[in-house]
Amino acid sequence: MNLTLTHLFALLPLIIVGITVVVVMLSVACRRNHFLNATLSGCGLILALLSVFWVQCSDHGSQLPTLVSPMVAVDSYSLFYIGLILVAALACIVFAYAYFDRLKVHREEFYLLLLCSTLGAMVLVSAVHMASLFIGLELMSVPLYGMAAYIFKRQQSLEAGIKYLVLSAVASSFLLFGMALLFAAYGELGFAELGLKLVSVDYLDTWTIIGVGMMVIGLAFKLSVAPFHMWTSDVYEGAPAPVSAFLATVSKVAVFAVLVRFFILAPTFSVKLHTVIAVLAVLSMLTGNLLALRSHNIKRLLGYSSIAHLGYLLTAVVVLRSGVSDGAGELSESGQLVLEATGVYLVGYVLTSLGTFGVVALATHADSANRDTSELRGLAQRRPVLAVCMAFMLLSLAGIPLTAGFIGKFYVLALTVNGELWWLAASVIVGSAIGLYYYLRTIVELFLPTDDATVTAANGRGQALGALVVVIAAALTLWIGIFPEPIITMVNSALPVGL
Amino acid sequence: MNYLFLVTLFPLIGAVLLAIFRRMPVNLAATIGVGSIGLSALTTLALALQFFGNDQTAFVQHLWTWISVEAFEVGFDYRLDGLSLTLLGVITGVGFLIHLFASWYMREDLKDQVDYLYTRFFCYMNLFVFSMLVLVLGNNLLLMFLGWEGVGLCSYLLIGYYYRGEANAWAAFKAFIITRVGDVFLAIGMFLIWIQFGTLDIQTVIAQAPEVMAEGTLLTEVTALMLLGGAVGKSAQLPLQTWLADAMAGPTPVSALIHAATMVTAGVYLIARTHVVFELAPFTDELVGVLGLLTLLIAGFSALAQTDIKRVLAYSTMSQIGYMFLALGVHAYGAAIFHLMIHAFFKALLFLASGSVIISCHHEQNIFKMGGLRKKIPLAYACFVVGGAALSALPIVTSGFYSKDEILWLSFANGHTVLWLGGLAGAFLTSIYTFRMIFIVFHGKPASHASEHAHAPQGIAHHLPLLVLIVLSTFVGAFITPPLSNVLPETEVTASHALQISLEVLSSVVAIVGLGIAAALFLGRRRFVKGLVESDEGAKLWQFFNSAFAFDAIYDRLFVKPYLAIARLHRYDWIDKLAGIFPGLVKLGNSAMSASQNGQLRSYAATFVLGALVIVAALLVS
Repeated sequence: MNLTLTHLFALLPLIIVGITVVVVMLSVACRRNHFLNATLSGCGLILALLSVFWVQCSDHGSQLPTLVSPMVAVDSYSLFYIGLILVAALACIVFAYAYFDRLKVHREEFYLLLLCSTLGAMVLVSAVHMASLFIGLELMSVPLYGMAAYIFKRQQSLEAGIKYLVLSAVASSFLLFGMALLFAAYGELGFAELGLKLVSVDYLDTWTIIGVGMMVIGLAFKLSVAPFHMWTSDVYEGAPAPVSAFLATVSKVAVFAVLVRFFILAPTFSVKLHTVIAVLAVLSMLTGNLLALRSHNIKRLLGYSSIAHLGYLLTAVVVLRSGVSDGAGELSESGQLVLEATGVYLVGYVLTSLGTFGVVALATHADSANRDTSELRGLAQRRPVLAVCMAFMLLSLAGIPLTAGFIGKFYVLALTVNGELWWLAASVIVGSAIGLYYYLRTIVELFLPTDDATVTAANGRGQALGALVVVIAAALTLWIGIFPEPIITMVNSALPVGL
Repeated sequence: MNYLFLVTLFPLIGAVLLAIFRRMPVNLAATIGVGSIGLSALTTLALALQFFGNDQTAFVQHLWTWISVEAFEVGFDYRLDGLSLTLLGVITGVGFLIHLFASWYMREDLKDQVDYLYTRFFCYMNLFVFSMLVLVLGNNLLLMFLGWEGVGLCSYLLIGYYYRGEANAWAAFKAFIITRVGDVFLAIGMFLIWIQFGTLDIQTVIAQAPEVMAEGTLLTEVTALMLLGGAVGKSAQLPLQTWLADAMAGPTPVSALIHAATMVTAGVYLIARTHVVFELAPFTDELVGVLGLLTLLIAGFSALAQTDIKRVLAYSTMSQIGYMFLALGVHAYGAAIFHLMIHAFFKALLFLASGSVIISCHHEQNIFKMGGLRKKIPLAYACFVVGGAALSALPIVTSGFYSKDEILWLSFANGHTVLWLGGLAGAFLTSIYTFRMIFIVFHGKPASHASEHAHAPQGIAHHLPLLVLIVLSTFVGAFITPPLSNVLPETEVTASHALQISLEVLSSVVAIVGLGIAAALFLGRRRFVKGLVESDEGAKLWQFFNSAFAFDAIYDRLFVKPYLAIARLHRYDWIDKLAGIFPGLVKLGNSAMSASQNGQLRSYAATFVLGALVIVAALLVS
């Protein structure tokens, strides 16, 4: 394998984040300074984000998609999702700065973990090979255990980290086993190569289906799809709020992107498998929404709601069966619609999740164990801007028109209707109906008066910047809700390699 | 004539200004409120001059396309022709005088009714004039409907102007709801016209009606009937007449403008505009006249037994509009519009004068507590004599004589003898109740403290409108001939001129006899009437007339009570119970799911593995 300059250039975003990790590590070793290290990490991410644009723009259609190695492909698809991940990670850093500023722990290493995890996510979305998939997934997950348990003096946080670690290990074993089965059957680990083999056979044997099924189980855990969702709310609740934001956005986006890429490059036309995925989707929508119904802890509630949202998204994978019509790497019109829906939905979902978790991170006390909605009660009095943004974000999660969430949900419904998957369409509608209840209830909570004198306005460094990020997220949500055209164009130009 | 839109623009701007700057000084509010209508009136004058200089050709101004959905196209078009110009003159001319008077009246009123915003009154009034002008000028049924609903809204707002009194709010409700019933009919009528013509453009409908609509078929009859339903609702004719008397809860200038001169005659305008449709529906056509006749008789009897000065006038309005409907029923459209205009003059005069009397008597409205006012407030007395004479159509000198006799004559000449006889009886009643009111209010001795200490109102804003309207209510007003020849068909009369003269003499005699009877009964000590009312049958009859033939009680039994009963029945809504099943299920699911979230890692792992097992098993088995 020889790396040319073109390859290195294409890998620029990953390289920059990698260098940032080293720089921040050295900086922490020299001197503990919260502000400095947070800024360094932020700058690294911003540079990486700029390099994404640079790579994308200087491409002129000649160099991209670049298969850097059989493992990693830098195409417009991965660049789009790398961009999304970087934006989310950047926002998480801002929230983390405000959140940890009030804590008396060693705060600096957190950014190290976050950067590593981000790098893993970036590898994941560029993966076109089982090995890079697994490496990316683990590089993303392992720092997350530490991040979830970062405030280890708080039992909840520690518990969250351990729960995630143990269950994640189980999931990884399923994933590995699935890969092994596929390798045993075809002797290939690259998605595209595997896809060629899969397409060439008329009949998929049981072991292939089980292999793919086990991979789906492994990834479904990361996506917190029912019935592998049990950890979600516990971890979201226990982990520091910025980590929950990271979990809800970066890790979900990366895993989902690679899942879609896998199903496009290595399509399995097994009805059974897709029925199973459809059942998982329906289960997730119902479970997530039902669990959230009477949850009064805002972080648990958001965790449950993310289960439901991943359920909505999973319909895209179900529809992919008919979308990849003419063999591996060929997309029909409905397949194109799947990519469009996935991209638009994920953008909306990331923005709203960042906004909601951001508000939670900014408005609640890091050292208080009990993070109920009652702590957000009366937010409108203390932090009117945050409260309005939060209300708007919740509306977006509920899929009310004029928000990005509505556009995403509209796409999902369009997918199910196009694919004539009436059961899925029905459960999307039922799920949304249930969802409306608890989202609206939470909004009401925000605007109720409170006479709790102990709840004071949080002040500290980074609050203003954090609030700005929340406002930007809300503004973007509104903008996409009103004028989704630019985002749709952007998503449509982001095609995975081989197309 | 491109400045036609200005007529409607001025009142709209006035309304908007008054709505935004609610706390402006009273003088400024009056200037804006009255001035906007004044400008409108001047514009109308210019339009009229140009219109007559232009051989009375109709002018259509396309302002913009309002709605355009496939074949459904509605333009915001104004049409100026003889009919709309006549109405325009009445609305802006009489409207201006009433606004001017109102600036005085409401200022006096503020002294007793503090806390009611002066700007609010003029805002609604200007908005009303705007809506009424749109109604009249709209070249499209939908645009007309916009104005139609707008005047209904303003009527509601102004009846309930003194919103702190509960009765006023109920009166506003009643007016709004009952006219809404009519509006629904009108809307259905519009749908039917759209189905048949594929357009709502009035001129197209008029031009194509003879080809599109078959004469006398059920569809044609229903279409006309629906239009008639809208018209009777707005014009307070049988069977939707009960709201008008209660509408007197509003300030008196409102009663003058909306519930006498303009809005309530919108039904007459509608039928005159769409007369082609009615002519194709013989049954409904006949019904128009019959309803008019019944209303004018019922209202006439009711007016005999009222004690509130404004309610007397309200019933007389109903009865006069009944005459207009009668005229429409006998195809004397020109006569109907002519009477509409003349009626606007003298009824506005009577209402404004009654407002003057009410203010003079410190808000006393009961005529039996007035009495002997003719020397204290001579101007109001003059107004009532002239206006009352016009209302009773006393011969030669009054304007009402010319308009009403034309209706009676044409109904006879067109062979509707029954309608003619009824109209004659109505004229007799009119004469009696009008002069009953005048004699009780202005003659005899003061019957209460209020009338003893009545003070004469001052000010040009008070005098000028009354004086102008006095002049217009005499034969001078009858010289104004509406330019309708290009819009409405002339009525062809074959009967001889001598017959017309003799009939006119007959109706004059009837009116004068009525006046004489009123004088005999109500001048002096009224012993005969007292005896009559105090007898058992007399009291019952009086009660019957006073409640306007007990329509309110009947409607209460027939509609209000059953409706409320149904509403009560639906309080225990079984559909709601059914809808409650879903939340119940969801709650159940929530409980079941929540139990699984026990926070224990081992059970989570077990669930994970169990789920994976089921999936793998499902994939294995085929």
